[in-house]
Amino acid sequence: MTRPLLTGARAGVVPCAACGLLSRKHGPEEEPGNCPRCGEALAFRLHDPIQRTWALIIAASICYLPANLLPVMTTKTLQSVVPTTIIGGVVRLYADGSWVLALIVLVASVMIPLGKLLALAYLLITVQLRSVRRRRERARLYRILKAIGRWSMLDVFVATFSVALVRFRPFMSVSPGSGVLFFTAVVILTIFAADTFDPRLIWDSGGTPRGEK
Amino acid sequence: MTDNTEIPNIPQAESVPEKRTTISVVWIIPILAAAVGIGIAVQQYLSEGPSIRIAFRSAEGVEAGKTSIKYKEIEIGKVTGVTLSKDYSRILVTAKMGKNTEGLLVNDASFWIVKPRVTLSGVSGISTLLSGNYIRFEPGTSKETGRDFVGLEVPPPATSGLPGREFVLRSDTLGSLGVGSPVYYRRLNVGQVISYALAKDGRSVDIRIFLNAPFDRFVTSNTQFWEASGIDLSVGAGGVSMRTESLLSLLVGGIAFETPASPAGNSAVADNAVFPLSRDQATALSPREADAERFALYFRGSLRGLSVGAPVDFLGLPIGEVTGVFLAYARGEESIRTRVEIVTYPFRLFEPRGKRDAIGGRRAPIRERRESIQRQVVGKGLRAQLRSASLISGQLYVAFDYFPDAPEAKIAWERKPPDFPVVPGEMASIPSMLRNLLAKLDKVPVEEIGNDARKAIATLDRALVRLEGETLPEARKTFAMLDRTLEHVDGEIVPEAKKALEELRRAIASTERVLADTDNTFLRPEAPGQQDLRDAMREIARAARAVRALADYLERNPSALIRGKTREKP
Repeated sequence: MTRPLLTGARAGVVPCAACGLLSRKHGPEEEPGNCPRCGEALAFRLHDPIQRTWALIIAASICYLPANLLPVMTTKTLQSVVPTTIIGGVVRLYADGSWVLALIVLVASVMIPLGKLLALAYLLITVQLRSVRRRRERARLYRILKAIGRWSMLDVFVATFSVALVRFRPFMSVSPGSGVLFFTAVVILTIFAADTFDPRLIWDSGGTPRGEK
Repeated sequence: MTDNTEIPNIPQAESVPEKRTTISVVWIIPILAAAVGIGIAVQQYLSEGPSIRIAFRSAEGVEAGKTSIKYKEIEIGKVTGVTLSKDYSRILVTAKMGKNTEGLLVNDASFWIVKPRVTLSGVSGISTLLSGNYIRFEPGTSKETGRDFVGLEVPPPATSGLPGREFVLRSDTLGSLGVGSPVYYRRLNVGQVISYALAKDGRSVDIRIFLNAPFDRFVTSNTQFWEASGIDLSVGAGGVSMRTESLLSLLVGGIAFETPASPAGNSAVADNAVFPLSRDQATALSPREADAERFALYFRGSLRGLSVGAPVDFLGLPIGEVTGVFLAYARGEESIRTRVEIVTYPFRLFEPRGKRDAIGGRRAPIRERRESIQRQVVGKGLRAQLRSASLISGQLYVAFDYFPDAPEAKIAWERKPPDFPVVPGEMASIPSMLRNLLAKLDKVPVEEIGNDARKAIATLDRALVRLEGETLPEARKTFAMLDRTLEHVDGEIVPEAKKALEELRRAIASTERVLADTDNTFLRPEAPGQQDLRDAMREIARAARAVRALADYLERNPSALIRGKTREKP
């Protein structure tokens, strides 16, 4: 067994998230107390990260189903009323020949949210199992997650713009479907989930006194 | 805890903080999401109607996700998929119906694709030019629900929901009828043909018609339907006749009906009652089969000009028609003769009221009664005969008439149909002309003429005998005396004697003429000879009287011959 590396938590030193002042923990309790300079509550780790992240992931997963099953956009023309789901839109774009657009929508609206949910779940599970393997890769995965999360809103933007711009009543009009609400919820929830996850947990399994068996 | 600096090996006791509530409030978020999601799912499930499948032969303009199913112009469903059937013969259209449509989706509900249609009887589906084709739905009447349907290729007429009733007409052929063909009642358009189908046995066509209320109540058990399709042009023994119900029916065909007054009463009929569809009005309105009497007639000689449908007359009134013309082998005589089958409705001509007891009422009397009546009339000489209806067309018809001189015959009841006795047909109109001629000749009083002539001859005979036997000898004597006394005769007697002689000569000449003309005189009805003869006889009689007077005078006064006539008169 290698000698455990020194971390802030192990040394009982915690930086203030608001002003950056390094301070020792207040007492023997888990909670380190408040920052002596700015009064911000200090914490070795984010508050209850695993449970919160799980909750958000599950909520996002629940929303993911209606987001894909319900139409995000309803196009009304003189002859027809065509509701479009996300996948339906992808298929139609592809069928119309614009496979690049289809790919973009597919990646941004289907793969990224789904990938985020799966990645976060993977991170959480490995943290809870106190796995020590591939921790650097997991750390990088988390950084990517945080970076791309907001781009999933692309679909919502498209829907919003279409609704606002395509108003040629009575010949043609576009109205938002209920799917777009759920889709927005998925994107927002996954962003929050990525934020509530504390990447330091990945490393906590290695060499923490609690981690020792 | 006595000394805590000197004993390094003793670990420091940990204070384990109280674990706070382990369930974070953040779980509200997924619970909320789940609640909303489930709520939406439930709503979706509840608002979702049944899924159905419709088979079409062709699904022109039907697109998955686009084409809607409409009922009374309101969308009640949407096509979700269009696929080929397993045997590639049909198009299976899957559709998701709206909520609360279960009650409509019964077994016999109909679906058809609405597209612009231009037919003779109207233009429909114009709106689809803009909106694209859609599937029309019309609920059925069945109570059982169904999920698999067969789409109609042609739209049914828009009769659903309209008050009225449907009836079925059974016909040999469809004629020129089609879906939408009008139905006329007294030339009013009161309904239409809504569908037609070949009967299961393939022997007839069932035509379904819809009659708008309130006209449907004119259909009763006694109603007769006939085809009013196009122009009904018929050339029969009655001449050329042409009739049509309306200009529209001329183009698209049509059906007409009428309810003849019936003694049996007109009872109401149920929906979908089946009626026969007659070829034309005449057939439709001819009496019912129940009153029909069928007979077979065996003729000798040509039947040229006799066609099926030719009329059968009874004393000049039409009572039936020819139903078949055949050849038949006469077993007893080893020869081929012609057999004509006819159907007659003899009892339709009797006055409905009043004669009821006499003939058995308006309805045909019971069979035995009918047979006895017919036996009687045949006994009185009623026979069937072929007659010519017109010299120009050469059409023949069958006539029943009395021939009191016809040889005795009976109806052969044992045959089916019974044989009715016949008399040979008369040829064209020459026989009738001859008959007229004979009738006129019959009126000539030949007998009377003969009697007159005989009387005249007898009178003449008597006169001659008298002339010869009595007058002539006397005259001769007189002549002799005259001759002897001629020289004594003077002016007094001479004029009278001369006159008498002159008259006598004239009488003799007349008699000769009469004798010569007698032959001619006899043959001519208004014979002037008779008059001449009578005149001649009168002349002769007068001459004889003169001679007698002369003779008497001479007998009493013989001296007159010498002395001449003395004056007696004062």
